[in-house]
Amino acid sequence: MAYQVLARKWRPRNFAQLVGQEHVIKALANAFANERLHHAYLLTGTRGVGKTTIARIMAKALNCETGVTAEPCGVCSACTQIDAGRFVDLLEIDAASNTGIDNIREVLDNAQYSPTAGRFKVYIIDEVHMLSKSAFNAMLKTLEEPPGHVKFILATTDPQKVPVTVLSRCLQFSLRNMTPQQVIFHLGRVLDTEQITYEAGALNLLGHAAHGSMRDALSLLDQAIAYGAGKVEEAGVRAMLGAVDQSYLFELLDALVAQNGGQLIAAANAIAGRGLSYEAALQELAHLLHQIAMVQMVPGALADDLPIRDDILRIAQAISPEDAQLYYQIAIHGRNDLALAPDEYAGFTMTLMRMLAFAPVPAGQLPLAQSGTAATAAPASRAPVAQQSPAAVTENSAETPSDAPASTPGLIPVRAAGSNSQNSETYPAEASAEKGPESNTGEGMPWQDESAAAAPPPARPTEFDGDWRGLLAQLRLGAAGMLAQHAELLRHEGDCYYLRVAEEHQAVATRDFQEKLREAISDYFGREQQLKVEIQQQTGQTPAQLAQRERAARQDQAIEAIQQDPFVQTVVRDFGGTVIADSIRPL
Amino acid sequence: MNALYPWQKKDWQALLRERERLPHALLLTGPAGIGKLRFAERLANLLLCETPGSAEPCGECEGCRWFAAGNHPDYRLLTPAEAEEDEDGKTKRKQPVIPVDAVRELEDFVNLTSHRRGVRVTVVAPAETMNVAAANAFLKTLEEPPAGAVFILVAHHWRRLLPTIRSRCRQFPLSLPDHHAAESWLAAEGVVNPQLHLAHMGGAPLAALEDASAPWLAQRNELLQHLANPAALDVIGIAQTLEKTRLDVALVVDWLQKWGHDIVSLGLSGNIRYYPDWRDDLQRLSVRAVPLLEWQKTLLSARKAAHHPLNPRLVYESLLFAYLDALRTRAVKPQ
Repeated sequence: MAYQVLARKWRPRNFAQLVGQEHVIKALANAFANERLHHAYLLTGTRGVGKTTIARIMAKALNCETGVTAEPCGVCSACTQIDAGRFVDLLEIDAASNTGIDNIREVLDNAQYSPTAGRFKVYIIDEVHMLSKSAFNAMLKTLEEPPGHVKFILATTDPQKVPVTVLSRCLQFSLRNMTPQQVIFHLGRVLDTEQITYEAGALNLLGHAAHGSMRDALSLLDQAIAYGAGKVEEAGVRAMLGAVDQSYLFELLDALVAQNGGQLIAAANAIAGRGLSYEAALQELAHLLHQIAMVQMVPGALADDLPIRDDILRIAQAISPEDAQLYYQIAIHGRNDLALAPDEYAGFTMTLMRMLAFAPVPAGQLPLAQSGTAATAAPASRAPVAQQSPAAVTENSAETPSDAPASTPGLIPVRAAGSNSQNSETYPAEASAEKGPESNTGEGMPWQDESAAAAPPPARPTEFDGDWRGLLAQLRLGAAGMLAQHAELLRHEGDCYYLRVAEEHQAVATRDFQEKLREAISDYFGREQQLKVEIQQQTGQTPAQLAQRERAARQDQAIEAIQQDPFVQTVVRDFGGTVIADSIRPL
Repeated sequence: MNALYPWQKKDWQALLRERERLPHALLLTGPAGIGKLRFAERLANLLLCETPGSAEPCGECEGCRWFAAGNHPDYRLLTPAEAEEDEDGKTKRKQPVIPVDAVRELEDFVNLTSHRRGVRVTVVAPAETMNVAAANAFLKTLEEPPAGAVFILVAHHWRRLLPTIRSRCRQFPLSLPDHHAAESWLAAEGVVNPQLHLAHMGGAPLAALEDASAPWLAQRNELLQHLANPAALDVIGIAQTLEKTRLDVALVVDWLQKWGHDIVSLGLSGNIRYYPDWRDDLQRLSVRAVPLLEWQKTLLSARKAAHHPLNPRLVYESLLFAYLDALRTRAVKPQ
């Protein structure tokens, strides 16, 4: 086990060896050169971009025996000990293992003692996002004003989980992802020094597969060296990564264009047979579809020297832009679903079949299950189709006919925006079979209904005209609206209102709400108003009760309208359907 | 005791070809039920074997004997805790996770000197069952362990691992055995209908072996029987029976997913993957392949929530109702 993986062996030991991150290094180097040292740094960035590495180099720069410098010598005892990981004044804390407040307290208790050997006591707290809330809070005071000999360096992949109070006490550097070019260049240098032969194309593949992380790239390189038995060749790397040859993808697309399921699965099996990665296949497919869609919209967008240009143009002509978009969406979603499928093959083929199923079906034959797209069609054209469903279902499963109307999708008409009381007259019958309480969010919360609909009146009256409900509709009451809705106006004398609240709603008649209501009314009329609330057994004329009664009346009307509707009657008579009264909703 | 399965010989040789380049953190990936854990254990055994220069564990040295007895002091196996019985005799429904404490204990094991020759091997299987805290606590240990510490991670779904974990390991994908090899192995194990069970499990031989002798075979058959006959599907009743069997929700969702996949696949491309023994019924239902794609989506989200403490009966009911709905929708489509 003498072998050390490349990622560890090639961990940079000074700022000059770092790849990328110039913006951070420059700032740090200048700070060290001028001795303008902050006491707490926070390094953020994705995996393998150099957070821990920079933290260690900073520790060296601070403690090097040649003085605080941007170029640690690397030969003095402090530098060598830090490299070997046994410098007494460098405390590297794994915050993910020591998450608790006690762990942090122990660390901070020792912070007050001066360093044993070095100039500074450096605390590197790695994976700091895993600290508990109390641990973070315990750190705050020390982090803000530590003793002069203490430096904190925090590192995390997930700065969102770090409290703002910690963030504001630190000098934050966010490290960028590596570009593929940087990765490729560095891998080349590593292989040259390791004296391993390689092909440039292989490094290109690895550079892209690393997704911006140098450690990923070096881990992959390790894997590639093992895979190729000491050589890094393009074919070997391609096989190792499961990178998909584009010809397979065109086979898939051709099968989709031809709407040939058998051919599609055969192409998928070919990918499986070659041991290629399904995730990579979906990603490449999405990439290809992106190019196709681009060609369709901007014909000149494709580079002329692209080897697959002709194939892309061919497919671009064969499918419509909408389909290209749809396929793209499905491919993207399919990648997320892979992990949840019974196995990856099933997830992959399912994604392909989804493309096949939702593809160029003539508009009239669109399966109703796609309620997302169906909702944009005109409701009138769909209604007759949907209304047949009770009959169709009764023959389908005799046991459960009752839930049939509720289960027909596609019946939800396009609802105009706005409050539902206003357009109830416009189409009473057509929408009556609409399902689902979720579409009636306004109901059951009467005060929301009216206060939302309230618009500032053109001119404000100065006198109360006796219309209590009308007045409430003009007010912005918030929670106090509950009191107003459940209160019945007994009488009003001048600027004094006498209200009655039923015992069961006593809870809303608090002093707070009364005060709010009074203020709202006073504001409305522009002068002080008085409010007297009494609790009684029962009330009869509160706005809530009135609204309830009106709703019941509208419901009756709607049922009536449905029963009278000639089309519904035909359905009931000719197909033996039943109308389920509970499912009728007024609009 | 831990001989390799016949289909793993090639992978074994490929891995050991570069033995001096073996990394300190290896991630074995591949579908469930192809013997990854056995592979990992054998590799651990080889690393702990004290006979120098061997390509296989010798089985005679003290290290090998200890390993065979299951108490080698330099070997740790991290697996999710089994469901425990509490004092009432009820099995607790426990989510299979590797808790953070197990990973923290590992720190001592890794950082202290070993008992034998300096090599300390840890196998984590399956690695994706580490919860978030455990995985994060593992990061520092995994990245730069002291000399001699080796980690072998086993993952059925490597994509569910933290990217920070993945980036610290070298991946080594284990391949799925081809059908003939798997079939003959199953036949040798005494499985009556190897082909069928292989199909049920998508080609993974160990899973197929389990499938052949699983206690829930009857329940699955019963469920499929009901699914095959949607006109008489008594959703409430079936959900009740399923709940009483106390099966894992994820398992039942898996059956349903495979059923849905087969219908869709048969309807659109003429292929059956999982249930070839139900071909006739699938054929009949496959005219409704398109609306069932929507049902698949429902199943995916059910799968995502399978380990949440939801009421299993309600989950089953909603899934089965969705199944019926999906089948019915097709009935109103103009032919």
